Amino acid sequence: MATRITTSMVQRNVLADLNAITAKLTKTQMKAASNKEIARPSDDPFNASRAMALRQNVNATKQYQRNVEDAIGWMDASEQALDRITVSVREARDLLVQGGNDATDQTSRNAIATELEQLIESIKQNASATYRGSYLFSGGETGVRPYQPGADDGYHGDDGGLNPATPGIVREIGPGVTMTINTVGSDVLGGGQAAGDDKLLHVLRNAVDHLRAGDGASVRGTDLDGLDANLDKLLEVRAANGARTNRLEAATTRLDEVEESTIRQLSSVEDADIAETLIALNSQTAAYQAALRAGASIVQSSLMDFLR
Amino acid sequence: MPISSFYGLQTSLRGLLAQQRLLDTAGHNIANAATKGYSRQEAALVASPALQIPAGGIAGGSGAHLGSGVDVQQYRRIRDQFIDLQYRGQNTNLGEWAARAGALDSAELALAEPGENGINEQLSRFWDAWSNLANANADPAAAKQALIEQANGLADAFQTVRAQIGLVQGQSYAEYANLARAGGVPSPGDPGGEVAQIARDVADLNDTIRRFITSGDLPNDLLDRRDQLLDNLSEFGQISVEEQADGTINVSFVDKASAGTTYPVVTGVTASWAGPPAGDAWSPGGRLGGLLEASRPGGTLDGFLATLDTVATSLATVVNGTYGGTFFESGPGSAAASLRVEASLAADPQLVVAGSGASGTRDIALAVSQLRDTATVDGAYRAFVAEFGSHVREAIRQEGNAQVLTNAVENRRQSVSGVSMDEEMTNLVRFQRSYQASARAMSTMDEMLDVLINRTGRVGL
Repeated sequence: MATRITTSMVQRNVLADLNAITAKLTKTQMKAASNKEIARPSDDPFNASRAMALRQNVNATKQYQRNVEDAIGWMDASEQALDRITVSVREARDLLVQGGNDATDQTSRNAIATELEQLIESIKQNASATYRGSYLFSGGETGVRPYQPGADDGYHGDDGGLNPATPGIVREIGPGVTMTINTVGSDVLGGGQAAGDDKLLHVLRNAVDHLRAGDGASVRGTDLDGLDANLDKLLEVRAANGARTNRLEAATTRLDEVEESTIRQLSSVEDADIAETLIALNSQTAAYQAALRAGASIVQSSLMDFLR
Repeated sequence: MPISSFYGLQTSLRGLLAQQRLLDTAGHNIANAATKGYSRQEAALVASPALQIPAGGIAGGSGAHLGSGVDVQQYRRIRDQFIDLQYRGQNTNLGEWAARAGALDSAELALAEPGENGINEQLSRFWDAWSNLANANADPAAAKQALIEQANGLADAFQTVRAQIGLVQGQSYAEYANLARAGGVPSPGDPGGEVAQIARDVADLNDTIRRFITSGDLPNDLLDRRDQLLDNLSEFGQISVEEQADGTINVSFVDKASAGTTYPVVTGVTASWAGPPAGDAWSPGGRLGGLLEASRPGGTLDGFLATLDTVATSLATVVNGTYGGTFFESGPGSAAASLRVEASLAADPQLVVAGSGASGTRDIALAVSQLRDTATVDGAYRAFVAEFGSHVREAIRQEGNAQVLTNAVENRRQSVSGVSMDEEMTNLVRFQRSYQASARAMSTMDEMLDVLINRTGRVGL
């Protein structure tokens, strides 16, 4: 049976086709205007969820970068303080060599002892350096000044970060990757004579006493040896810190790369391909105009035009 | 038997009258070309009863039948009941998916994903805030303040999304209840929902149609109107129509779930729609079914709300577990709707505990920030959005399919019942020519009689 084509069928079909093309055109136009492939989850549920995960990754990476920057700042401040301490220790070593020499008389030894005490103050001052309000060498007790000026050589912080059981200053530098960034003051400077730990302050205070007592042999011998050992310890700590800084800088580079590639992935999932969208827009516009023209010529003409 | 000289005049007259009726019918069709639900009509012609000529009337001696022209036998509408059934089935399907797509579509907007304002982004910033607190080894006051602000923002996002989806759920159910409500509910004079109103119109038409049919008339235009009402009703749910001998129809909704339980809408001349069954324990399909499926307890939207609650609960559990105390609290009722920062922390952000050890330690804040991208929170939420999106996509796709199928059936119906202007034009020409020819036949008879009456027997005058 041949299908009867009625007037209303023609009108309905023309209208339905125009609606379909307009709907497509609107969608493409929105894509071109917003530059987004996915405006709502239903546009592409799988990729929408992927885009959300990638967004989280981008945000997380940015946060890790902030954490690493902060850690590098902390490490730089620590390194500066340790560098100044090293300079002071080297000066103290020169003084000890001079004071230990038997040719040096007691008056000069007393003067050297006084100078040494000033160096001890300067070392303690540098060991109490801060970064963004935190004492760098207090372990976990960042609010507590680790070394007080004057005769008190005691360490007032804790051993957080050195002792695995005590939390120190930790930064998260990647997903699941953390790094302890603080140097514990007592590990380098010790607790003075009261602690009797042969650390820097103990050795220097001993040297001061020996100089005042005129005991050149002890100054030359045990004190100088102890100071050399502490200088080595200081360099060892600085080397370890340098390695940590290197690791942080490597992390920055890696995070930059991760961020870039994640953003690229996000863009490829979420953003519209402009060239493709514009081509689609053009061809759909052409199709729309063709449909309008065809519709107009079909809907308008009728047998009435040809009957007298 | 001699045949009357005026016999031919009568034959031509019948022709003229029949052609006039044909032209009238064509005019009626053209006038109703754009009327919704109209099916084209045609006048069925039959040759009128012939004049019987007794034996010996013609050569050879036998009898004969001399044609006497034409009569209109009936005016009938051209309609295929089978296509009507198909159309209503597809229309029910379309109604169901359109209602579901509509409800899900507006709920989807509430998610605001993927984007800068959705829960995903808020979660991300929440973990950032913990990380910032972990970095604030001295003077964490500002970081704590920011953390609580961000936690409030996250809780707000959960509450807003849940409230929006809940709102759509409520609106869908209200629309369903309003459409399906029986007449006289809630007040005695109330006309009821759309279903009840259609039921009343069909019952009234049944009454009128019955009176015509029992007296042998075929009320084409009333039948069209009744079919149109059934088309409208089929959008609301799956209907079954039983035609009765007296021309009335019984209409009922069919439950798709319980193998054919029916709920009467119209019985004879009575509108018998009494509203949906108690507890809405049916699935009628169509718009009613779509709205009900989206909004009923345990329905699609309810499932989404439950998933959102699960994510909110996981968030609170995971954060509280790592925090080692109550950071988020929720309840009573839905976790997502009542998720909030614990009251004393919200009142004084400085009470947030960031570290377990000395003043500068931030191990707790660090541990919480490392919860970032937890499978049961961030991952579960993303899965939820993907599932939501898939449902919406499926509903929209099904709606599109149903639309195409409904259009195709409607086209087939229009192909049978629709008015074609070209056809009517051609018919007009044909009928007009026939009319002219009948008139010419009559003139010929007239001239014949003129010869017989005025010129016969005047030889030699």
